Amino acid sequence: MSNSTSSPAEGNPPSSDGLSRRSFLRSSAVVVSGLAALAASLSPLRHLNDFPSVEQFLQKYYKELTPEEMKKVLTRIEDEVERQYGLRPHVSDLKPKNGVEFVYALNLTRCIGCRKCVHACVGENNQSRTPEIQYIRVVRLPHGSLDLEKAEHNYSPEQVPEKGYFYMPVQCQQCKNPPCVKVCPVHATWQETDGITVVDYNWCIGCRYCEAACPYWARRFNFTSPAIPKERLNLNMAYLGNRPRRQGVMEKCHFCVQRTRAGRYPACLEVCPVGARKFGDILDPESEVSHIFRTKRVFIQLKEEMGTSPRFFYYFDV
Amino acid sequence: MNNTGRTGIVLVVLAAAFLALALKFAAPVGPSSAMSAQISLVETQFLDTATIRKSYAELIRTKADLSDFDCYACHEKGKPPVLRFDAHQIIVVPKEHEDVVMGHGSHNRNNNCFNCHDEQNLELLQTRDGRQVKLAESPALCGSCHGPTYRDWEAGAHGRTGGYWNRAAGPIKRQICVDCHNPHRPKIPPRKPAPGPHLLHPVADVPTEGFH
Repeated sequence: MSNSTSSPAEGNPPSSDGLSRRSFLRSSAVVVSGLAALAASLSPLRHLNDFPSVEQFLQKYYKELTPEEMKKVLTRIEDEVERQYGLRPHVSDLKPKNGVEFVYALNLTRCIGCRKCVHACVGENNQSRTPEIQYIRVVRLPHGSLDLEKAEHNYSPEQVPEKGYFYMPVQCQQCKNPPCVKVCPVHATWQETDGITVVDYNWCIGCRYCEAACPYWARRFNFTSPAIPKERLNLNMAYLGNRPRRQGVMEKCHFCVQRTRAGRYPACLEVCPVGARKFGDILDPESEVSHIFRTKRVFIQLKEEMGTSPRFFYYFDV
Repeated sequence: MNNTGRTGIVLVVLAAAFLALALKFAAPVGPSSAMSAQISLVETQFLDTATIRKSYAELIRTKADLSDFDCYACHEKGKPPVLRFDAHQIIVVPKEHEDVVMGHGSHNRNNNCFNCHDEQNLELLQTRDGRQVKLAESPALCGSCHGPTYRDWEAGAHGRTGGYWNRAAGPIKRQICVDCHNPHRPKIPPRKPAPGPHLLHPVADVPTEGFH
């Protein structure tokens, strides 16, 4: 970059070390704008408010955490939620009970497609409202068919049920042979002894393999930071359940572990106005689901041919 | 133009490009316009876990107004009310009971108040085999006809439940028949569905409205 050929009459004499005024200005402009661009390109980091803390980053695998470490983790999560929402939750880590296997049974004769279960689930499980994350999809099917090609989940009539249709809520089927667990490259999702397939949101890397593997489209991805209004935040939280998720992790129905492992019914069941949803321990012969298995006529496991062996059964009244 | 000049131009263009990128990144990052449309919160009526009606037993429990069940404020004791039927043998509901719409069973088969109510004591119910049943204990009467449903209900498989599935951890919340079914018209009335899923990006050819 030498101007040595230009004449001194142009008022641009070469400096002693061969650097002209023009080339100096040009290079410095380039350097300054380059630095500005670098700084600006990093500026989105300013908005990364849920950047993992050191403890979060160094947290061990769920199954390797000792009870003391787990306690610390739960306190840390409570702090994080309090910082974000201004409300202190109770975060627990409920373990599966021995000799209990959860099963869901849904009565297709009763379901009227009112979608109350969808919204009770959103409220119970602290799902994002904008963008919307819902674990349950209610599909409408014409009578006389179980052909999912004819299913419609954007139905919006004035009143339900509509003539000539029946409704089938679909959510995580808690498979006995879960394809989503098989594909997870980091073991962030696994099946527990009570039959619930859970996700460790701190271990998930967001590759979405499980979403692709699930034949029921039961898994949801947090494309953005979930938005939960503070006044609708459910403060009864579980580590593997409904604690607020981060951007970039998968989530799904977990049979309300924060409720069911404490002995309560799931939220979708309690809100169902027609009692179409039944939940219980299939190993207990006195439970409602056992009674349904003994006395009801038809059972469907959705997409049975996939070999996933769901723990979610659909049945009809006789 | 010599090499030096060309290098200079390239550097200036690169600098301009970087500046443009800098401006783009410096602009506040936020949800894109398609997603910034705030989805309104679902109405609380859709989160309500209450049953659609209140039974007599529930009214007693909540100490509600029971004046509607005070039959002998109008009726005379020991004098069974006379039922009136129209030309098609359909029962005529008197205007004092206009809230009662007869619709239990199809083809007007259940066309007589005293199929369930006791004509001798209006504050009681009666089964077809003549047993008297208190208003608050109505499931026994319902079960005298609806056997399989009664069996399922007793097992917890018919009707709403709540509370605890694990009886060791807490009580189960049960409902009785008339908490959900109007005995005079037992079919559950149709209702407005809660809003369906909102699409992330509104697409014209996806049927969201009026797809019946």
